[in-house]
Amino acid sequence: MSLSDLLYNFTEWLRGTWLTEFALSISDTSLSFWIVTNFWSIPIFQTIHILSIAAAFSATFMFSLRIFGIAGGSRTIAQNSRRYLPWAWWGLLFLAISGILMIIGEPVRELINPWFWIKMVAIVVLIVLSIWFQTRTIRSAAAAPSPWVASSAVKGGAIALLILWCFVIYCGRFIAYAPV
Amino acid sequence: MILESLWRSLETSAVGEFVATNSWAFPTLETLHVIFLVTVVGTVAIMDLRLLGLASNQTAVTEMSRDTLPWTWVGFVGAAITGGLLFVSKSTTYVINPYFQIKMILLVLAGLNMAIFHVFTWRTVSTWDSETAVPLGGKIAGLLSLIFWVLVVFFGRAIGFTLGMFYV
Repeated sequence: MSLSDLLYNFTEWLRGTWLTEFALSISDTSLSFWIVTNFWSIPIFQTIHILSIAAAFSATFMFSLRIFGIAGGSRTIAQNSRRYLPWAWWGLLFLAISGILMIIGEPVRELINPWFWIKMVAIVVLIVLSIWFQTRTIRSAAAAPSPWVASSAVKGGAIALLILWCFVIYCGRFIAYAPV
Repeated sequence: MILESLWRSLETSAVGEFVATNSWAFPTLETLHVIFLVTVVGTVAIMDLRLLGLASNQTAVTEMSRDTLPWTWVGFVGAAITGGLLFVSKSTTYVINPYFQIKMILLVLAGLNMAIFHVFTWRTVSTWDSETAVPLGGKIAGLLSLIFWVLVVFFGRAIGFTLGMFYV
């Protein structure tokens, strides 16, 4: 079975669940109607979505560079985390808000979509792993004698999280291309 | 016109046809374009906020520049390559799209803003490197940069919603 078949079957399965009725009930709301009838609303939500990815992804990236000792070397891990990590979490909040607005605007296209649900699972994994990784790294750096040098496990974790971010972005773009 | 035939030949080139017809190529290139462009916008914004005295004020301006600028360039080159490949798949449709045209102008303005900052304001950086408040030229460059890049993202996204709405 090819990947396209798998995605097709996933879509068919989603269509049979309560999600279809739920999506249709969202499309009956006045907010959904307002988004549909205002041409620029979706492009503006998507712009906010991309700018939020820029904030969150780059903040995660800069924190990772510090772990590798490539950037932010004059500051400790704790100082770097205070500088960058709030941008990752606030970015995530704005991603959720703009994302929910996009769902309200196009509920069937989003909720009956295999890429959307793959993305949601990946985001949950990303959030849980990020919290775990960040707290552990900050704690171990604070306890270590200075200068702190990241273990290869920490470096591997930083790279894995960046790859997971890219995968989430990939799924997000493919939502637009799945046949509904 | 000579340009028109250039756009058409790009579109009918092997690369152009591959991107246009392969069902995975276009969205994959778009994804890579997004990953590169968020790197550009994010790292640029980190530097801009330092110039505006809004973040990283305890860190020297030159250090912030060393930390971010190489990645801005990596992102920019990546975004330019992936953007170029997206472009060749529908060159004739893109060039006449006003949002595409405005985006290109904004990219030039963002580049000029950066160049002016590095040629003029940057000359005296050693005297204000560790200050929270940078000279007015630096603040203006930071603010303009944020505005230009936000607009680049908006116009870039607008292209996808307006392709095929314009004809020669």
